[in-house]
Amino acid sequence: MKKLKSKGDENVLAPIWNWKITAFSAALLFIVGILAISFGPVSLGFQDILRTLFGLPGGLTGQDRTLLLDLRLPRALLAALVGAALATSGAVYQTVFRNPLADPYLLGAAAGAGLGATIALTSAGADLRSLLPVFAFFGAISAVLVSFFISGKFFAEPNSLLLSGIAVGSFATAVQTYLQQRNSASLRPVYSWILGELTVANWEVVTWSSIYILIALIILFTVSKQLDGLMLTDEEAYSLGINPNKLRVIAVVAATLATATAVSASGLIGFVGIVVPHLVRGITHRVTNRGLLTIALVGASFLVLADLGARTLLSPAELPIGVITAFVGAPFFLVVLRKKRLVSQ
Amino acid sequence: MINISDLTVRVGQRSILSDINIEIEDGKWTCLVGPNGAGKTTLLKSLLGSMPYSGSITDSGVEVFRNHDRNVAFVPQHPQIPIGMSVSEYVMLGRSKRDGWGNESNQSRKLVADILKLTGLFGMQSQFVSLLSGGEMQRALIARALVQEPTLILLDEPTSALDLHHQIAVLNNIELLKERGVTIISTMHDITLAAMYAEKIVVMQEGKVLLHGTSDFVIHSPELKSAFENRINVYTLDSGRPVIVANKDLPNN
Repeated sequence: MKKLKSKGDENVLAPIWNWKITAFSAALLFIVGILAISFGPVSLGFQDILRTLFGLPGGLTGQDRTLLLDLRLPRALLAALVGAALATSGAVYQTVFRNPLADPYLLGAAAGAGLGATIALTSAGADLRSLLPVFAFFGAISAVLVSFFISGKFFAEPNSLLLSGIAVGSFATAVQTYLQQRNSASLRPVYSWILGELTVANWEVVTWSSIYILIALIILFTVSKQLDGLMLTDEEAYSLGINPNKLRVIAVVAATLATATAVSASGLIGFVGIVVPHLVRGITHRVTNRGLLTIALVGASFLVLADLGARTLLSPAELPIGVITAFVGAPFFLVVLRKKRLVSQ
Repeated sequence: MINISDLTVRVGQRSILSDINIEIEDGKWTCLVGPNGAGKTTLLKSLLGSMPYSGSITDSGVEVFRNHDRNVAFVPQHPQIPIGMSVSEYVMLGRSKRDGWGNESNQSRKLVADILKLTGLFGMQSQFVSLLSGGEMQRALIARALVQEPTLILLDEPTSALDLHHQIAVLNNIELLKERGVTIISTMHDITLAAMYAEKIVVMQEGKVLLHGTSDFVIHSPELKSAFENRINVYTLDSGRPVIVANKDLPNN
């Protein structure tokens, strides 16, 4: 992918978005996905995989078939869903809050979701596991609203949103830890979930998380084109035919649902929401939300690759996937921070 | 014709605008002047239709509040500058209402290129808007308003942050809109410039319209001085152009 250039004709501008980039990232996701399900302690051949997936004769049988269909495939799908959800909601938060450093983690959304999920897991007796996303959603949306109102009401600096998000996130984490310690009986499931793992992936988890994530993403892709208007003042957005407040509410609620579901399904996996959107914008030199689908696809590829690393780097032991995303993401975050200072002076 | 009758705007208990009754002619440049806090920006937002008001504002006989059928461009005094957005993306946003969000016709891409040339921004289209100078940014805003092909454009202090050279450049760019038959309503601090460019002037003070009429009439009206607490003097140059100069010393009563 190269920087978009105008094609010869001086009198016509280059298109704002080149949809070939979107098609390219879809192809990338497919290739990365096949790679991910083929590698592991037991290597599976690409041909065998494709034959099995498309139901052609000569596919895998026996243990290999189970390994592919019941372990690796749901895990790769879950990684893709979670990656798409985190990257897309990061990009949307960045647009809505007009802050290039906004991210599900820095806004406290993820920690809030974690608190909500912990409440569900530690609630006495009842098995609320399938209601995890609902609890996580209410935790996350409360955290986002609290961060937003604290920062908007008491501070004028844009970065105060991040600072209040970090404070709200720490508070939610503290309450979560307290709940965990009080309910030592359910400590183990909570703890293994917090570590951020896709090892629990099975078709049941993939099914319920895909429902919530797809609903959220479809809403976000539907409003994505208008989201560009939120980068302007409310009056300018209004003059271009947008109702900024309504759009903001729809976008934040949908992005938070995506984040909350991702957190419920896989625990806390940081930095995807900041690395992927900036990577896509940096390569294409475009900030338009027409690139949102591309950001989702690249986010999916990113997390599938990160999970491949988590499974294979210390094989047969597993590395928590959050470690890999932080290893790549933290230095990247610093680069974005520095670039933002240069650009906004 | 824009018809404002009994317009009152309240924010909380405070009355920002009260009992405004004026008519604004189509295809003319009308300038709102007055001291800070007179309610000029609020009147612009009411004319846009994004601000709740009581009374009525009709544009060609239709009430403007929340009426998205009109095509009105708005140029704010303090624009939100999107980080990482290029000039071409920024100006192309002006086509969103016409082409539908997320689409741009080939015709629009040609129009935007033409307007960038007209406003002297061609060649800078891949530069980030956040790196533009004050004068360039103002021209980018006007370029976006031009490609919107509006019937009415509202400009809030389009020249306030600029040096004289750039002020003239921007005001000449706004005149391009008038040549296309667009109605222009702007606020402006500099009454001399307002008198030079606008055909009509509305003088506001504490949320009320003090006087309004042709630029000539308003400039030479004694009430203009009282709106600025007698701290201005009006002189006429040999060319016949009026010049308004601030009065350093408070007048003796």
